Amino acid sequence: MPYEDRVLKRTSGLGGSGDGSTDPPSLGRPVTPARPKISSWRQFKAILRKDIVMELRTKEMITSMGLYALLVLIIYYVALSQAGSNFDVSRISAGLLLLAIVFTSMLGLNRSLVHEQDQGQLDALLLSPIDRPILFFGKAVTNLIFLLIVQVIITPLFYFIFMGNADTAAMGPLWMVALALLLGSIGIASVGTLLATMSVNTKGKDFVLAVIFIPLMFPLLLAVVTALNAVVLGNPDMTSVFWRFTGIAFGYDVITTVIAFALYEFILGV
Amino acid sequence: MKRSLRWALILAVLGGLLTTLAFVGAFTYARVQTFSTTVNVPNAVARKAVKAGFPAGDAATQMAAPPGTVAVHKPWFSQKIFFFHVPIAVASLVVMTIAAIFSLLFLIKRKKSYDTRAKVAMEATLVFIIGTMISGDLWTRASWGVWWEWEPRLTTYAILTLLVIAYFVLRNSVEDEERRATYGAVFALFAWVDVPITFMITRMMPSQHPALTGLETSNLIPFMIGMAGMSMLGFAIYELRFNEEHLRERLAALKEDLEG
Repeated sequence: MPYEDRVLKRTSGLGGSGDGSTDPPSLGRPVTPARPKISSWRQFKAILRKDIVMELRTKEMITSMGLYALLVLIIYYVALSQAGSNFDVSRISAGLLLLAIVFTSMLGLNRSLVHEQDQGQLDALLLSPIDRPILFFGKAVTNLIFLLIVQVIITPLFYFIFMGNADTAAMGPLWMVALALLLGSIGIASVGTLLATMSVNTKGKDFVLAVIFIPLMFPLLLAVVTALNAVVLGNPDMTSVFWRFTGIAFGYDVITTVIAFALYEFILGV
Repeated sequence: MKRSLRWALILAVLGGLLTTLAFVGAFTYARVQTFSTTVNVPNAVARKAVKAGFPAGDAATQMAAPPGTVAVHKPWFSQKIFFFHVPIAVASLVVMTIAAIFSLLFLIKRKKSYDTRAKVAMEATLVFIIGTMISGDLWTRASWGVWWEWEPRLTTYAILTLLVIAYFVLRNSVEDEERRATYGAVFALFAWVDVPITFMITRMMPSQHPALTGLETSNLIPFMIGMAGMSMLGFAIYELRFNEEHLRERLAALKEDLEG
């Protein structure tokens, strides 16, 4: 066989039987699955439940992410401590908040997949009769949930620490902040799940995650910061800027989730 | 010598020659673009300049010019980088598209050679991206007075640079051959999304970066020569590197087989 026609061995990417060599042996009767098909929704719930039960028992993700976020806020305090009383933190608060969230989410994503890797859980999941697309959504949604929990903790904390004295009379409604952060988190969770699944299998785990995650996240981060900043500053053109950039963030979320979903199958089981 | 290798060598030489020719043509054949501001030059120089196509300043500026000098529009020499910068930038996007196509083919067919091709194309992309960045920076310094500006085109292109670098970081940190190939392909496809964005962004958003519209013939000819030369160079770099990688991999496979 000429070298260039070599096929890299396991063809798990396309449903397992790409080269036709893994046909089941004929036993004279049709091979039937042992159990009836489990509905996608139940599969999804099972993955979600597994992660949440694990978290409730170890409390590792929330503790580490929450603590890390708190430490980032403390570093912000150090950085801003000499800025003087004239300095208006609200002008940069959107960026600072999102920065804390990005750092925290990278830590969380890495941990969430390292768990799967460490105890061979990912292999077990692949052996289980769970559809691979469901696996992606299951992991992405658990990551999203943890991310949102952490945000619910650190956003008010951020507000009280840094913006207690700021002029917030013009600030837009709270649901706008929540919507912008939610759209940001969806993108982080979906792309992050794909990238973290790759990076945990590399030598430089968290470093590789940072290198591949941040450039891909750039458009989303920029859109969310612009939208958030518009809300915090409450300029007259707030609503139009907010909707334009949440629109961009939403488009980014949809496109990247579809791509991540389509590509996730390939990186599993290699 | 293999036929493709011979072609690659021919194209490398030809591409180099054409790129050089385009650059020479940019200074000799192409018309000099000028600013709207005028500069006063001595009569003898001005005669040559006007003959070469520099528009002379209007009556008012001529009156203001000191005796013995003529006001002509200020030549815009930094614009000449266009004949190098645009071909190399376009080539970088094209080669990256080829890398993405081979990545997709790899994911579908799982043939090792597709992965090698994708990697080699990505290497050529990196070379071109560095060329684009350097020439672009020189131009922004000369034309805008700054080395860097957070402007839509520059920003999206900077992200592209980071993505291509990240592609190699990712590949280098995976040990297993199949896993490396798959991760690389998945990431390359994701990263490719930035290519149409960076290409279209100057046409969709207000941007300081000039977008290419019509060109007059004297500029078009050197430009097209540059484009052809750069495409040939791109193909040659890709093919030469592929041959090298291919031989290396064959050697490794043979060694493995011999060792049993």
